[in-house]
Amino acid sequence: MNRADVMRLEREHPDLLPLIRTGGLYYLILAGLLAVVGYGLYAYGQQWREGLEVTGMNTPVYWGLYIVNFVYFVGLSAGGILVAALAHAAGVEKFKPIGRIAELGAISCLILAAIFIMLDLGRPERWFHLIFYARFASPLAWDFVIVGVYLAIAMALGYFSTRADLVRCMALLPSRRGLYRFLTLGYTDTSPAAVERDRRVLRALAIASIPAAVMLHSVTAWILGLLKARPGWHSALLAPLFIVSASVSGLAMVIVALVVSRRFLGVRVKDEAIQDLGRILVFTIPVLGYFLFAELLTVVYAGEQASMAVFQEMMFGKYAPVFWFNVLLGLLLPLLLLWRPRRWVAVAFSIPLFIAASLVAQQFRLAIPNPLVGIFPYALGVFLPSWVEYTLIALLAVVLPFLLLTTSWLRTTDGIGIAAALVVLGVLAERTNIVLPPLLKTWLPYPQGSYVPTSTEVVLVLATYAVGALAFIVLAKVFPLVELERE
Amino acid sequence: MPRWGMVIDLDRCTACQACTVACKEENNQPVAGRERSRSGRDIFWQQVLATVEGDYPRARVRFLPRPCQHCDAPPCVQVCPVGATTKREDGLVAQDSLRCIGCRYCMVACPYGVRAFNWKAPAFETTQYLNPDVPVRPVGVVEKCTFCIHRIEKATQRAKAEGRALRDGEVQTACMQTCTGGAIVFGDLDDPNSRVGRLARDRRAFRLLEELATHPRVTYLAEG
Repeated sequence: MNRADVMRLEREHPDLLPLIRTGGLYYLILAGLLAVVGYGLYAYGQQWREGLEVTGMNTPVYWGLYIVNFVYFVGLSAGGILVAALAHAAGVEKFKPIGRIAELGAISCLILAAIFIMLDLGRPERWFHLIFYARFASPLAWDFVIVGVYLAIAMALGYFSTRADLVRCMALLPSRRGLYRFLTLGYTDTSPAAVERDRRVLRALAIASIPAAVMLHSVTAWILGLLKARPGWHSALLAPLFIVSASVSGLAMVIVALVVSRRFLGVRVKDEAIQDLGRILVFTIPVLGYFLFAELLTVVYAGEQASMAVFQEMMFGKYAPVFWFNVLLGLLLPLLLLWRPRRWVAVAFSIPLFIAASLVAQQFRLAIPNPLVGIFPYALGVFLPSWVEYTLIALLAVVLPFLLLTTSWLRTTDGIGIAAALVVLGVLAERTNIVLPPLLKTWLPYPQGSYVPTSTEVVLVLATYAVGALAFIVLAKVFPLVELERE
Repeated sequence: MPRWGMVIDLDRCTACQACTVACKEENNQPVAGRERSRSGRDIFWQQVLATVEGDYPRARVRFLPRPCQHCDAPPCVQVCPVGATTKREDGLVAQDSLRCIGCRYCMVACPYGVRAFNWKAPAFETTQYLNPDVPVRPVGVVEKCTFCIHRIEKATQRAKAEGRALRDGEVQTACMQTCTGGAIVFGDLDDPNSRVGRLARDRRAFRLLEELATHPRVTYLAEG
C-alpha cells in the first residue's frame, strides 16, 4: 500500500487505524512479550527434561500455580460469553460492537487454561489418553469435554460476528485479501439475506452458550468440590461460587481488554460500553462477596476441625495476605471505585470502619474488653496478624477516602479499567486461596505441607500470560477488534 | 476369590520403620535423600506417621503405619480421568504406570495421602539389588502400595500348580514379613478363621476416616 492509500484509508475509515498504523511502543511491547515467551520455552525445556521436580509442588501439595491458573483462566473466559449473550441473545445493541473483543478474550483464556493443564501433567506426551481412555466418572474428563464444546461455541460466535467485517476488509485492504479470504473460510456472501442468517446463527449460538457456560464453570468447580477428601473444597456452594466469580472476573477482564486496546492499540471503543460493563460489575461484586461470606460463616459456625484448619490457614495463616488482598483490594476497593458514592457517603462509610479497625488494633495489643470481642472472628479466639490490621486501618481510614475525595480521574473509563484490573487480580488471589490451603491441611493430622513456587514455575506462568497477551496484540493488527461502522 | 486385607495392631507397633524400609526394597522405590526429603519428594508406600498428643510434660507420641487402604469405594478410582487407577476383580486398587498421565488428581482425592508421585526420574545407586518382580516406575507418574501384588500372584500360582487352596499366612507382604513386633497381619478377610479375619473383628478394631465411606480394607487395632 502506498502512502496516499494509507492517508485515504485513515480519513475514510478511522476504525481501521489500528490495522495499518503501528507505533514504536507496540514493537517494544511485542519484543518484550516475545522475550518472555522465549524464556518460558527454555524453562519448559528444563521441566520437560527434569520432570516436575523443578516445580515447588510436593507431597502433600500435589497441585500448585498451574492448577490455580487453570481454574482462574477457565473463569476469566466467562466474560466473553456474558457479553456475547447480552449482545446477541438479549439484543443489547451497544454491546454488539465489543462482542468480538470479548469472544476473542474467551477463546484465548480457554487456550491458556489448556496450556496450564498441559504444564501440570507429569506425562504431557500422553495427553491423548484423555481421548482414547476417557473415564466419564471423572470430573476431569467432564471438563475436557465441556472445555471443547465451549471453545467451539466461542469460536463459532467469533467467526459469525467477524465474517462480514472480514469481507469488507478484503475490499478495503487489498494487500491482505488472501488472509481475510482464508479467515472467512470462503464464505464471502454479504447480501442482506446472508447477514440476516448470520444474525440468527449468532442468536442461536449465544443462547446455547449460556447453559454451556453454566456447565463449564460448574464442572471446573466440581473437579475440586466433589472430593470428600478435601474439607475445604467439599461444599455444594462451590459450583455457584465459581459461576459468580467467573462472571465477575470475566466481566472485569473484558473491561481491562477494552480499556487497554483503546489506550494502547487505538481501537475505537465507546465510553458508553465500558461504563455499562462497569455498572454490571458493581452489581456482581457484592454477590461474590456474599457467597464468600456465606461459605466462611458456615464453616466457622460449625467449627469442624479439618475445615477450620483450612480456613484458619487461609484467613490468618500463611495465606492471609492473599485472602485480605482479595477481600480488601480485590472486592471492596473496586466496588467503591466503581460505585462512586457521594462524598458524604464515602466519609460516613469510613468512620465506622475506622473505629472498628482501631478497636481491633487496640484489642490485639492491650487486650482490654471491647465490643468486638464477641464478634466474628474474635469470638473464636483468633486474631489478625498485626500487619494485616495496620494495612486494614491505613487502607480503610486514609487511602480510600483520600482517593474517593480527591481524584477525579477515577471517574473516567481509565478509572473503571483500574478498578476492573484490581478485580481481575483479586479473583486470582481468590483462586489461589481456593486451590492451595485445602491441600496443605488434610483430614489426617500427619503430613502438613507447605508450598513455595520455584522460579521455573513462575517463569512458565508468566510466559503463558505473555502468550495470551501476544495473541491479543497480534490479532489486533490482523482484523478489526470492534465492529466496523456501517456507512 | 479371597478378599485381601490387612490388620495393624498399634499396641504391637514399635515405630521402628522396618516396614517402610522393607517396602522400599521390595518395591523398587528410589531413595529421595536428605535434601529432597525435606522438600517433600519422598516416595513411601508404607510410611510410619507420627503425631504428638498433649503438651510437655504430658506429651505422648502416637505412631501409625499407613499403607494404601485398598478401599472398597476408592475415591482415587472415581476421579482418574484415564482409568489408570482401577479396582481389580479381586478388590485391590491398582495403578497402571503406562496409562497414567500424571495429573495427580488421584493423590488429591485420596483422604489418606497414600499415593506418591515420581517428581523426577527414579535413580538408584545400583540396579543390582532391584526386585525383578516389580517394575520400576518412570518419571511423571503416580505410584502406590500394591499389597505386594507380585507375592500374591506367585503364591496363588504355586497353590494352583500344587492343586490346593491358599493357606492362611501363605501370602505375606514385605512389611508384614519384616515387622519386628508382629503388628502387621495380612490375609483373607472373607475367611472367618484366618488370623486377619479374627483380628478384624476385635473389639479394638477401627478403620481410618470411616466416616468418609471409603470402606478401607486396612483395619487398625487401637492402643489399649
